[in-house]
Amino acid sequence: MEYNENNLIITKDLKKTYKDNGVYVNAINGIDITINSGEFTAIVGPSGSGKTTFFNLISGLDSLTYGKVWLNSKLISDMSGKELSDFRRDNIGFVFQAYNLIPVLTVEENIEYIMLLQGVGKKERHKKVLNILREVGLEGMRNRVPTKLSGGQQQRVAIARAMVSEPSLILADEPTANLDSKTGTELLNMMRRLNETTGMTFLFSTHDKMIMEKARRVITLKDGLIEKDEIKA
Amino acid sequence: MIVLKIAFRNIFRQKRRTVFTILSMFGGFVLAALFIGMADGTYNQIINKFTRNQMGHIQIHEKTFLDRPSLYKTINNFKKIDKELQNIDEIDSLCPRLYSAGLASVKEKSTGVRIIGIDSKRENETTQFNNKIIKGRGFSDIDSHEVIIGKTLAKILKAGLNDEVVIVSQGADGSIANDLYKVIGILETGDDITDRISFYLNLKDAQELLVLEGKVHEIAITIKKLSNVYKVNNIVEEKINNPQLSVEPWQVFAKSFYLAMKADKEGMWIMLLIIVLVVAVGVLNTVLMAVLERQREYGVLKAIGTKPFQIFKQVVLEVNILAIFCMIFGIGVAFFINSFFSTHAIATFKDIAYGGMKFNSMYAEINARSFYIPAITVFLAANLVSIFPALKAAKTEPAKSMRIH
Ligand SMILES: Nc1ncnc2c1ncn2[C@@H]1O[C@H](COP(=O)(O)OP(=O)(O)O)[C@@H](O)[C@H]1O
Ligand SMILES: [Mg+2]
Repeated sequence: MEYNENNLIITKDLKKTYKDNGVYVNAINGIDITINSGEFTAIVGPSGSGKTTFFNLISGLDSLTYGKVWLNSKLISDMSGKELSDFRRDNIGFVFQAYNLIPVLTVEENIEYIMLLQGVGKKERHKKVLNILREVGLEGMRNRVPTKLSGGQQQRVAIARAMVSEPSLILADEPTANLDSKTGTELLNMMRRLNETTGMTFLFSTHDKMIMEKARRVITLKDGLIEKDEIKA
Repeated sequence: MIVLKIAFRNIFRQKRRTVFTILSMFGGFVLAALFIGMADGTYNQIINKFTRNQMGHIQIHEKTFLDRPSLYKTINNFKKIDKELQNIDEIDSLCPRLYSAGLASVKEKSTGVRIIGIDSKRENETTQFNNKIIKGRGFSDIDSHEVIIGKTLAKILKAGLNDEVVIVSQGADGSIANDLYKVIGILETGDDITDRISFYLNLKDAQELLVLEGKVHEIAITIKKLSNVYKVNNIVEEKINNPQLSVEPWQVFAKSFYLAMKADKEGMWIMLLIIVLVVAVGVLNTVLMAVLERQREYGVLKAIGTKPFQIFKQVVLEVNILAIFCMIFGIGVAFFINSFFSTHAIATFKDIAYGGMKFNSMYAEINARSFYIPAITVFLAANLVSIFPALKAAKTEPAKSMRIH
């Protein structure tokens, strides 16, 4: 396998078949793709085209049926559950469409959660939380609970949590799907800015035209296959 | 730490559900504490009635007397033993007794009786003898051929106060013993057999009748604290140091009574089982509901790197925090209620008969058992039933639990 140190994700003939009530559903039908460090890439396609499944496979949240996945030069498709859990914690920041935050924890506690799992000291945690909150424009909100935030603010906190321990990849599955278009565009602008200032790799999915405009590379899925892969200016 | 924090705050998320869980644990605990307190109180009441007011806590006999009673198996040096036991602090009081069988007759009615010779003053000190007399009076100080008979015996003999009773028995010298006594009292002990056959004489009169001058068959001892009985028994045994005599606690000399009491206590486990069920249903129901509701949350937590065991701990901790809370409250409330019923009897509608004795009031007892047994039971039950939901939470598959379409 040819490997370039700039490659962050490589998939080889990736396939996923679900069995749903005795019916086989081919969600991913053989995806070969390479994503490099520092990219700001959108995975697009209509609902049911396989975006979420693809994300779950490259992050090890779901088991694949066939093929191989390398992330950060590690073959994650062979890892055990416990290895994957630690690997995800240290290498991937997740932003989901909704229900990202633990409702009983404050903004600060939600953001520092991963650092707690990693055993980062209190002082450093606090410093990093303050920094990232400034980055996502939520200074002064650290003691709020998620239910006291707007949808856009909640997603910013999710992005802050995903980024705070500086993983190699931020994986955001339809982060704007539950937001109005103005808030969604703002969130994307912020993500793009963070990508540019930090150099962190962002991979996000969307089926919204306005949102995919913001990406520098757009990979279009259709029926579990790559239909188009275009790099923009 | 963060696990504990989440567990603690989760308690306040669904107030109604938390209240329900608390009620089942708290209710189970208080119920169990009351039940054990009541059962122990009644148990001790019965034992006391049987021992302190009748048999004594410790008895001394010739060593084979209890197995095969005989007129000749006597304790010959009661005066000496009495003196030796005088300065044992734990002993409340003691009294000598003499036993034999005889035939009692009043006019043309006659029946077999148990002759019991007692030192009236000391018997009264030891077992409150005079309290059991329901008609007439106790013995006078001078021995004057008086007899006190059981209530049922009086009925059988159709004997009333001041009637004369003839007794026929056998003297230790082989002679026919017979004499005439005047009924001065009728007694009721609450024990059927005792009330039917007891024929109490002054010790002096009995010794004279049976030709056993200066001898007794039994020494009954009451002690200050029931739970010290084995300890005091050993002390007494050492003090009198006589291989011809046996010194036994009530658990030995009244073995069948002791076993019946013990068997009765086993009933407690059924009660505890019911409590386990109440707690189990309450806790399982609510914890399972909570876990199902939080599937997404566990999915997110696992996705971002939380280990299954940490999620398991989070669920179990939540239950235990509630349990601790319930215990603290429960101990307070149960203590209060048990204290109340330890001084205020619960009157029963009908007399409760136990081993031929009648009771019409129940008291609770306050002891450590009635708190730690329910506490352990509730904790075990709560933890046991939270294992299943906790495992379910721990096994949450992130991809599945967060699927939106
Ligand atoms: N757990 C599952 N069981 C059965 N079918 C599934 C499961 N997850 C996804 N699918 C199916 O796989 C296909 C791709 O779904 P998904 O990856 O969620 O698409 P997208 O995120 O682009 O909407 C769909 O047909 C969907 O119904
Ligand atoms: Mg999706």
